[in-house]
Amino acid sequence: MTTILSTKSLHKHFGGVLAVNDVNAEFKARQLRSIIGPNGAGKTTFINVITGKLPASSGAVVFQEQDVTNRPAHVLVRLGICRTFQITSIFMGLSVFENVRIAAQTEIGGSLRVFSAREGLKNVNTKTWEILHRLELKDKADVPSNNLAHGDQRLLEVAMALAGDPKILFLDEPTAGMSPAETEHIAQLIKGLTDTIAVVLVEHDMDVVMRISDEITVLDQGRIIAEGSPRTIQDNELVKEAYLGHG
Amino acid sequence: MSEMVTKRRSTHPMKIVALLIVVTCLTLFPFVVTNRFYISLVNEMLIYGLLAMSLDVLLGYTGLLSFMHNAYLGLGAYVVGLFLIHVAPSSLWLALLAGVVVTSVIALPVGWVQVRTGGLAFALLTLAFGMMFYTIVWKWYSLTGGDDGLMGVPHPDIQVLGITLGSSGNPTTMYLLSLCIVFICFLLTWRIIHSPFGAVLEAIRENEERASFVGINVRRYKLYGWMYACMLAGVSGGLFILYRGYIGPTTMSAFAGAGVLMMVLVGGMGSLWGPIVGAGIFIFMQDYISTMTEHWELFVGLVVIMLVLFLPRGFIGLGDYLTRFRKE
Repeated sequence: MTTILSTKSLHKHFGGVLAVNDVNAEFKARQLRSIIGPNGAGKTTFINVITGKLPASSGAVVFQEQDVTNRPAHVLVRLGICRTFQITSIFMGLSVFENVRIAAQTEIGGSLRVFSAREGLKNVNTKTWEILHRLELKDKADVPSNNLAHGDQRLLEVAMALAGDPKILFLDEPTAGMSPAETEHIAQLIKGLTDTIAVVLVEHDMDVVMRISDEITVLDQGRIIAEGSPRTIQDNELVKEAYLGHG
Repeated sequence: MSEMVTKRRSTHPMKIVALLIVVTCLTLFPFVVTNRFYISLVNEMLIYGLLAMSLDVLLGYTGLLSFMHNAYLGLGAYVVGLFLIHVAPSSLWLALLAGVVVTSVIALPVGWVQVRTGGLAFALLTLAFGMMFYTIVWKWYSLTGGDDGLMGVPHPDIQVLGITLGSSGNPTTMYLLSLCIVFICFLLTWRIIHSPFGAVLEAIRENEERASFVGINVRRYKLYGWMYACMLAGVSGGLFILYRGYIGPTTMSAFAGAGVLMMVLVGGMGSLWGPIVGAGIFIFMQDYISTMTEHWELFVGLVVIMLVLFLPRGFIGLGDYLTRFRKE
């Protein structure tokens, strides 16, 4: 399997606090890699640096053999590095359809057309319906997204990320606050995504992580302390200590 | 793939009918009410309506607060006035074009700086730049006439395709010119707001961070929105000087800027006609109350406070309010 994205000695510090400390990670195509670790381990900071939300202090992010360190978020999205957030981030005042449509429009093009109707972009509409269909949000297309249930809002955010045609998708706690049934649904969905793209999952629900991950990276105090298959991680002494020792 | 066909959000035919009725009434107005004073008053409402609408492109559609959008009306007006005085006293269209072009050229670097910020910082920068422009216009006596304002602006004839329609010094002719240009700007802005480009502006208004994480270059599109709003303000400035024949620095003051902001809030953000109605209400109040007391600002302030308390969405929210009231 080819490596699609890697970090080289990545550091991020806030004042004197090292949130990401010399992390060398590799993300492979069509693989689901989970990033786990106790609270404050630097998981979210790590993906914030990769996806352009925060600048790196030092080190490099390499995407398809291209140095993309500290590129602006919108450039990374256009390259195929998309993400969702821990706290749902969608266009609350717009309908479900419009939320996904605008993401598809940015990906496909046409944003500078000022004299045509936005409904007239055929490719964008087709793609939007495809994604809504795939994520079973089709029936809610016209619903204002602030009226959606929490679980559907999380799903909508995934739909928006997918509309950007990602090559690698970072999901920050997608199951947070979801019911067991919703969690199951999104877990299956995430697993299905790896047929075509790489997925990186930051997740607290260990049941989900152990069930669907191909590989797991464990962070503690900004460092990678273990990497491997779910089974090897479960048996790893260092991991147990990190979670129990100073959790 | 039949389910993949998108419902086109067609404009309700009643809306088009209503718009045509309003425009027809406004066209007939100077022939029914021949009092020059009222014609000029409605003309001013239209010009400020255009300015308020352009501010709404920023505030209601892109989510950017500009405290002193009147600065760009002022710049447009001074440029058109100076062009008519010093360059070509009879070239109306060329003067208007110069007004829009120079306003845009000035607005570009200002916007370039401003879009690097967001929220409150953006709003404060608009105030800072606006005050700079105000001071320059006020102090540069030899060019702008300083405190006395720019006087002696000629009234060129209005010519379309070689046919002279009348002098811009004639209130009725000038009124019709304003109406025509404001109507064209309204249609143009309506088209742009409902375009894919307008969708990008809305996305930025809703959630700037998410907008950049679906791949939108937020700064660039904010700058486009800013430039369009300033161009429209420049157009309104051109109409302003043609209609008044005079402009002073107070038109560009922070106080006047707050007035434009109130027009948008009174009318209602996020609808193009709301701010135009707001401008009408605001100018009417200002005019009506100032005939009774010289402290008219006090009473305009009170009325605005009442409107904000009881019609928080502005005049456009009145419809919802009445429906709810009837149900109860």
